[in-house]
Amino acid sequence: MTQTWAIFYDAYRSLNAKKMFWVVLAISGLVVGAFALVGINEHGLKIAIWQLDTDPLTSENVSPALCYKWMFVEIGIGMWLAWIGTILALISTAGIFPDLLSSGSIDLLVSKPISRLRLFFTQYAAGLLFVTLQVGIFSLAGFLVIGFRGGAWEPGLFMAIPLVVCFFSYMFSVCVFLGIVTRSTLASLLLTLVFWFFVYGVGAAENALLMFQTMAEQGVDFKEMQRPPQPIKPAQPTKPAQPTKPSETDQGSLPQRPVAVPEAELFSAADDDSGPREQVSLSKESAKVPRAMGRSLLKALAQDPQAEGDKKTASGDETSEADGKKHDSGKLKIAHDILYGVKTFLPKTTETIALLERTLIDLAELPKEAFGQPERQNKQAEATKQMVEEIRSRSVWWIVGTSLLFEAFVLAWAALIFCRRDF
Amino acid sequence: MEARRMSDRELSRTGPKDSVGFVEYPSDGFLYEFLGTQMTAERDHLAIDLRYVAKTYRRRIHALRGIEMRVYPGEIFGLLGPNGAGKSTLVKIIMTVVRPNRAEGTILGRPMGHKPTLAQVGYLPENHRFPAYLTGRQALEYYAALAKVGRRERKRRAMELLELVGMHQWANTKLGTYSKGMQQRIGLAQALSNDPQLVVLDEPTDGLDPVGRRETREILLRLRDQGKTVFLNSHLLGEVERVCSRVAILVAGKVVRQGTLDELTAASEHYEIGLHGDATEGLSSAVRAALPCELQAAPVGASPFGAAAAPPGVVVPVVVPTERGTLPSGETVEFDGAMVRIHTDQAQAVQPVIDALRGQGLVIESVRLVRQSLEDFFIQAVSDTQNGDAAVQAIRKGGPA
Repeated sequence: MTQTWAIFYDAYRSLNAKKMFWVVLAISGLVVGAFALVGINEHGLKIAIWQLDTDPLTSENVSPALCYKWMFVEIGIGMWLAWIGTILALISTAGIFPDLLSSGSIDLLVSKPISRLRLFFTQYAAGLLFVTLQVGIFSLAGFLVIGFRGGAWEPGLFMAIPLVVCFFSYMFSVCVFLGIVTRSTLASLLLTLVFWFFVYGVGAAENALLMFQTMAEQGVDFKEMQRPPQPIKPAQPTKPAQPTKPSETDQGSLPQRPVAVPEAELFSAADDDSGPREQVSLSKESAKVPRAMGRSLLKALAQDPQAEGDKKTASGDETSEADGKKHDSGKLKIAHDILYGVKTFLPKTTETIALLERTLIDLAELPKEAFGQPERQNKQAEATKQMVEEIRSRSVWWIVGTSLLFEAFVLAWAALIFCRRDF
Repeated sequence: MEARRMSDRELSRTGPKDSVGFVEYPSDGFLYEFLGTQMTAERDHLAIDLRYVAKTYRRRIHALRGIEMRVYPGEIFGLLGPNGAGKSTLVKIIMTVVRPNRAEGTILGRPMGHKPTLAQVGYLPENHRFPAYLTGRQALEYYAALAKVGRRERKRRAMELLELVGMHQWANTKLGTYSKGMQQRIGLAQALSNDPQLVVLDEPTDGLDPVGRRETREILLRLRDQGKTVFLNSHLLGEVERVCSRVAILVAGKVVRQGTLDELTAASEHYEIGLHGDATEGLSSAVRAALPCELQAAPVGASPFGAAAAPPGVVVPVVVPTERGTLPSGETVEFDGAMVRIHTDQAQAVQPVIDALRGQGLVIESVRLVRQSLEDFFIQAVSDTQNGDAAVQAIRKGGPA
């Protein structure tokens, strides 16, 4: 243990000496500080002394605790730590192994009574210290903000630590491997970022294909989806006080990032054929789409189903059309299955972070009107529902387990090279 | 000390019989042969016992071609060799930094590559690089911790060693601000941080000023007096000559000479008789007439480096024609200019020559017993073995040894 602690302590000193560590920590502090400045009341959001009219996002519809948790998950973790923070962490840690392997430095370490394998994995674990400390401090600060400002003490917030560390470790393992092979900090960093975007692209493509496949199975006309959006005609007016706006409502209500929606409510609505309550809003549909899905797909969802129905009625040959869609569906399924297979062997970064949302956000607490208005019941909704079911059915094992297997494979390969190399 | 009395030849004879197996350390992927349970007590006492150490890089560059080397406990052992001879590779193999293709032998009585043994070994690599964010004291404590030294002990030793290498004033200064000489001093202290039984130093005086070199020599001698073994790899022959009791000369991946300085240079002992007067034909005629043997011109290139074989940068003095003969008593005698050399360390053998020279009316200015310097010996050994760098390069590329 003396050696392990020495390496960890040295890693801490190394981080302490790097300005980047403190820069990231300071930005984290600013993010948490910004959370603390945001409040929610009956009129909407309040940022410091400025009141924003964000109806229906008011304390009547959304509890302060839920609001803070949502901000923590979506902005604090989803945007800051999982993207910008991770890139900064990679910049800070990419040099660990190339520096370690530099002549004159590695000699001093491998000549000590510590096996190379242990040295490798201890250094690797020490490299994760950067993110562990950052996300640990960030989670603690978020916990306190939500506790004091939102009135809810949510220990589940600390699930962010293992999940974000896991997420970072996928990329860090690749960075370590490339660092050992190339012995170059810059090369390992750039190639890791390229790999990250590749993984992201595969994930997004897989989700998109799944969506199209499901739509094809549901008989949604893709050509119709390519038409410019039409004004939505509400099937039945619901709340005169909050009149439904035409298509701009749909477009405008599309969240920048997908928003979780009560599943149970959504699906029950989709299963029922009657009544305004059962109508599912377009925004909710898009909200259910995993964040990996591209915006083009969200746009595709924003088409008017009425026009789609009209066109279908107008077409005379429904049988041949159904056959064609079935054929399309089959091809899409093959393409999706291939991508799904590829994705199984790759780290699932987006899904790993999304697990935090599953853990923290109590979907049933979300207001029906918070992210859109109940409008429609149609095949697109059915397709979306099925896609969400499919994605939600993916187990934690598939998301984290296979990703960790990928990481283990990459690390084993890197360790093999490290152990057998002459320095 | 029993082992010291055995000759190297005797030790070599016991070697192959005792080689009974292999040991592999999976974590490092090392494959070493090792001495089995019948290891002799003599070999067990050796600080370093290397046999058949071979290393080939990329299947074509033969860095080491079967090294045989013995280092006894409590001595300072010098490893010499020209650039590219494989010295650093050998040191790195001893310290498990480089994996040998084949290695047989022991370090402190344990098979080579045995990691726990390294807790008793201190190592100063050439061109070492410490983390710039550590202070001198922190660096010593860090590397001592990696060598499994307890917390209290390493703190105590860190301050002691900083005092020893004259760096206590900069104990809490970041290493990034140190000069090369200061870093070298910290490096030496680092090598001693685990109170090792064996200290392996690769160019320890590199970057040090004369005062620093002298202090380093004193530290090495102090270590020897404490019973520690020092394995010293250095280009500075003068340094090695001053502190080492035994040396090995490595050329093109092979040990070409090994032994104590006395053993190695004894054969070169000779008497030099200095004659009064300039090197004139008259003086030469008188000497020829005086010596009781016939003198013949010695072949050109009898000096360690012939003019043609001298490497770039080496200034070869003008070669005065040397005449050589054999005395009736069997000793070789040489004459060049105003100097007569008799290759013997026996004073009695010189007396008849002195008498004969005086009998010819020659005035003798000096008579002294001369021993070849290590530098001369080194250059001769390298030259004899390889005939210059070209041969060294040829051998390293797979040519004949």
